[in-house]
Amino acid sequence: MSRHRTRATVLSSLLMGLGQIYNKQYMKGALMMAFEAASVMYFILNLGYAFWGIVTLGETPRTAANMQPGQYDHSIFILIQSLITILYLIVFLVVYYFNIRDARKIGAQRDEGRPVHNFRQSVRYVLDYKFAQAFLSIPAMGILFFTIMPIIFMVMIAFTNYSAPNHIPPGKLVDWVGFETFKNLLALKTWSHTFYGVLTWTIIWAILSTVTTYFGGLLVALLINQKGIRFKGFWRTILILPYAIPQLISLLVMRNMFNGEFGPINQYLGYFGLSGLPWLTDPFWAKVTVIIVNMWVGIPVSMLLIMGVLTTIPRDMYEAAEVDGASGYQKFRIITLPMILFTTAPTLIAQFAGNINNFNMIFLLTGGDPVKGDYQYAGATDLLVTWLYKLTLNQNRYNMASAVGIIIFLIIASFSIYNYRRTKSFKEEDMIQ
Amino acid sequence: MNFKKSFRKALLLVAVLTLTASMTACGTKSSTGGGEGANTPAPSNAANNKENTTAVQDGELVPEEGAELLVWESREEVPFTEEIARQFEEKYGVKVKIEEVATTDQVGKLTTDGPSGLGADVIIIPHDHLGNAAASGLILANDVFAEDTKKNNTEASIIGATFEETLYGYPRAAETTALFYNKSLVPEAPESFEDLIEFGKTFTDKSKKKYALMWEAGNMYFNYPFIASGGGYLYGDNGTNKDDIGLAHEGVAESMKVYQSLAEILPIKSGDINPDIKRGLFGAGDVAMDINGPWEVAGYKEALGDNLAIAPVPTVNGKPAITFSGIKIYTVSSFAKYPNAAKLYAQFATTKEAQLLLNEKIGSVPTNLEALETDQIKNDPIVSGFAEQAKNSEPMPSIPEMANVWAPVNAAMADIWDNKTDPKAAMEKAITQIKDLNNGLAAE
Repeated sequence: MSRHRTRATVLSSLLMGLGQIYNKQYMKGALMMAFEAASVMYFILNLGYAFWGIVTLGETPRTAANMQPGQYDHSIFILIQSLITILYLIVFLVVYYFNIRDARKIGAQRDEGRPVHNFRQSVRYVLDYKFAQAFLSIPAMGILFFTIMPIIFMVMIAFTNYSAPNHIPPGKLVDWVGFETFKNLLALKTWSHTFYGVLTWTIIWAILSTVTTYFGGLLVALLINQKGIRFKGFWRTILILPYAIPQLISLLVMRNMFNGEFGPINQYLGYFGLSGLPWLTDPFWAKVTVIIVNMWVGIPVSMLLIMGVLTTIPRDMYEAAEVDGASGYQKFRIITLPMILFTTAPTLIAQFAGNINNFNMIFLLTGGDPVKGDYQYAGATDLLVTWLYKLTLNQNRYNMASAVGIIIFLIIASFSIYNYRRTKSFKEEDMIQ
Repeated sequence: MNFKKSFRKALLLVAVLTLTASMTACGTKSSTGGGEGANTPAPSNAANNKENTTAVQDGELVPEEGAELLVWESREEVPFTEEIARQFEEKYGVKVKIEEVATTDQVGKLTTDGPSGLGADVIIIPHDHLGNAAASGLILANDVFAEDTKKNNTEASIIGATFEETLYGYPRAAETTALFYNKSLVPEAPESFEDLIEFGKTFTDKSKKKYALMWEAGNMYFNYPFIASGGGYLYGDNGTNKDDIGLAHEGVAESMKVYQSLAEILPIKSGDINPDIKRGLFGAGDVAMDINGPWEVAGYKEALGDNLAIAPVPTVNGKPAITFSGIKIYTVSSFAKYPNAAKLYAQFATTKEAQLLLNEKIGSVPTNLEALETDQIKNDPIVSGFAEQAKNSEPMPSIPEMANVWAPVNAAMADIWDNKTDPKAAMEKAITQIKDLNNGLAAE
């Protein structure tokens, strides 16, 4: 008794909408056929070109003989066009699958002798019961073509040789090189030395900057919350100020303040008879400087966060501790610190991930300098992300930049996933006892 | 309830329509299937036609029907370009639109914007970017006006505007570095760096923030005399041979020693010197001398007035200091819809009159031979100071590999200056790095 079901399925697999028409859903079938006709038309025009393009990335560079648009291949444009066509092919196949499923379902309904929806009823059904899915398919398409497609494109760049000086379209073509870019980055001495150097500093920076701002903020928050401190509002305001000034302004000012020769900081040191330090010109001291300035910018954020947490700690815990004769330090170690750490751990990890990519701090304060002679386009304080910026915007080595970008993504994604899983488990956990 | 339903329906319908529209919009690209066919009719390229090249005389070239031009110009020179664009429109009836783009960014921007049809038709670039632009086929040769250009401009500017035997550029102005000095502090410019150091010992006082000479010690552009005067060079064969890097010759170590000895009268880390700080100190009379280029003239003149004077860079070990010369050149984009109009514009903006206008507005040094002979230029002490230095200048190499030189040599300079490294060793390290970059170890 599955005659209709089988037939409808087979017919729909042959041609979109045929099974629906067989199921006497003429309107729906016609719409699907129209969709297929339009898509097939588009594929006839573009699909061959797309596959040719994604495999070869173009064959004819632009020379003096073929300067007009259409006479030459621009590898990067071809890559994007091919991607769009192939993504549309995937969308088409998904729709095709649903059309077969639909024909099969309706056929089964007919086998069981149940009535079949007419077109009006189908539309009504979709609007009443599948409204969310129907409507969300539009933004989903948008996300596919405006978010996912560019990301795929940028990942693909890492597997090509799209870089200055020898592979920049339209005068030159771009080719697939597989994992060679990654191999160069991780194994070839000219690049790997820079990469590991910058990576090491990035990790050191992320750890130090996160720890210093967090514990600095903790210290300040505890100080302000002490009994007997007056003008709490005033202190809080003063400490929030660095956070309130845009970094673009404050960091560029800092850059001048820390100037080894003409900066006010070294001049003050000079008044006390101390010789100034090479704040921004010595590789080691430049690193110290960015950490210090980052503390100045970052402590207010942690302070606010921790102040909020402090207000949630029940007072009776402290009272009970006092009854048991605990000293101030013991109260801090046994009650305050665990409570704060427990609540803010996810934020701490998020801050760590954010600091790995703290572009502003480095770019505005040191610009990655002081220059290191044995690095490729990077300086002593460059993080991976500022190095990526230099590779892309100053050197046009897009493939290297893309590879570095993928590596940054892997690092940050792993932290974020860990963090996310933590928070979920944390939701189900009981309070510490 | 009913209204709600119909509203939802309408919403869905709109959404579906938008989707189909956007899908078809994504996919209306005429396939070229391997780069043939689907040609747009090419605009008549009378000028590109080999037979016509010789026949077309100056003035015979006419702009295409309905031509419009887009040109890029750096911020400082926009007033000049506005004036030129107005005159050009009066003469030829072609509208010229101006967009502000820094000269050093224009080749990069044309690489990305040209193919998408958003690039300028005429760009103005420092000539060391020429090799990159020409090698990637971004620009058209200067063919129609080649005779004119070669006849009317200085030899150095023609070398700068040429890449691999082909003339691409239309030279507009020459730039080189020279010694700026404050006459109230240094009545006579020192002849040699030895004299300068003697003077420096009397003037430099670190505690009072007074320095005899301050310049960007960590930037190769300003330090070229310490390479070239000792017989060094960046690339051999007049800057065309990428495998012959002359940074570590015996003479270079000698002249770099002079560079190193200057730290005595400028006891500052190279990283602490930046143009802003220097500008402030020079304007306030705390710095007596600076090695700099013509773009700084307007600002310094405002600060010092008649006390500002320009002299050639002092001699290095008794040899005249050889500075870099940069030529600002117009080139015509190969993506230009109206190449004839674009070529006409590039020619129009580099005539004697145009270069004199630019000098009037900005204080530039012309490349046009007749313009250099006019009273306006001859009586301008600033320009004649630069012109004096320009006699001992070498054009920057314009091959694409030029881009690989800056970072390694700047790092070496900082090393030699700050850490008192042996010049020869530092330069040899730089050479290794440049060669690595040139041989594509890093590029492939």
